[in-house]
Amino acid sequence: MTVRKFRPPNRLASMIKDRGGILAKDALAAAEANIETLRESSLAALDAALEAIEARFGPGAPDRASEDFETLYTMTLKVVDVSGFAADAGVDEAAVSLCALVDACAEAGAWRWDAVDVHLSALRLLRNVGASLPAEHRRGMLEGLHKVVQR
Amino acid sequence: MPEPLNPSTRINLERATVLVLDDNGASLDILSGVVSGFGVRSLHRAESVKDAQALVKIHTFDLIISDVQMPEVDGYEFIQWLRREAPEQNRYVPVILVTGHTRISQVFKNRDAGSNFTVAKPITPKILLERIFWVAREERAFIECDTYIGPDRRFKHEGPPPGTDGRRKDDLQGEVGNAQEPNMSQEEINNLMKVAKVQI
Repeated sequence: MTVRKFRPPNRLASMIKDRGGILAKDALAAAEANIETLRESSLAALDAALEAIEARFGPGAPDRASEDFETLYTMTLKVVDVSGFAADAGVDEAAVSLCALVDACAEAGAWRWDAVDVHLSALRLLRNVGASLPAEHRRGMLEGLHKVVQR
Repeated sequence: MPEPLNPSTRINLERATVLVLDDNGASLDILSGVVSGFGVRSLHRAESVKDAQALVKIHTFDLIISDVQMPEVDGYEFIQWLRREAPEQNRYVPVILVTGHTRISQVFKNRDAGSNFTVAKPITPKILLERIFWVAREERAFIECDTYIGPDRRFKHEGPPPGTDGRRKDDLQGEVGNAQEPNMSQEEINNLMKVAKVQI
């Protein structure tokens, strides 16, 4: 097998050092300000995604046993996408944990509904009151979710 | 390793042409808002790999930020296409992948796709700017072979495993072995450090 090792020109490297520009702290402040305008719509998207998951995969969903893993995985990724606005409540970490659970279920070829239900309950609780929970309670809940995935 | 990004570091992305790709509109909005906040004026958005490929064929990009999980064609396959089949001016562009979760079955696919870095979602401006700064300053060579095209996947050069010869001419040996000569005296070491006139 032939291996070629070379250094192609990195245009980004030369332009990032150009005269002018802005301080990193100002770039971060501008980026934060830009995404702050998306807070409301993003949280609405997050709530809609959680509701959709609950309707298809919650304990009361009549056909959830026939659903495929990919559907819940993809729906949960949509929660992760916008969960930065609810990171103080731990929603981002709980959603990533649900992704890990669904991936593990897909690998095993079998649903673990008790674990799914725990995650959905936790997501609902964290979204509603997560930000006001004492940090150690929130941490304990998230660590509990990780343990459930690893079982 | 490149130097870290400090709050007082000056960056200039005004001339950079950037492509952001994400099939989730809300996520694409966040990504675009962050990148334009960094001072990027030429920002192109795509909601599918097909759209991204069309843009890559007509623009020259300095940075691509792509989601991984997308229907039909995913971010990994997009990067593999980019590195092999895209127009020459875009083939070696720095790529940052963003993903909410990496499936167990796709860990190797992620490693072998040819991106410069993978960033976890939800993205934060701080992490993304640090990574952009990092890929702009990184010194890794590109590797091109039958099975992989992209930045060298080895971040550290620690030599081949002990007991093996390595596969490259410049591989360092993992085991140093016993000293072959007596230790240098302090005077000899001092002489090495001494300022001396040299003939150029």
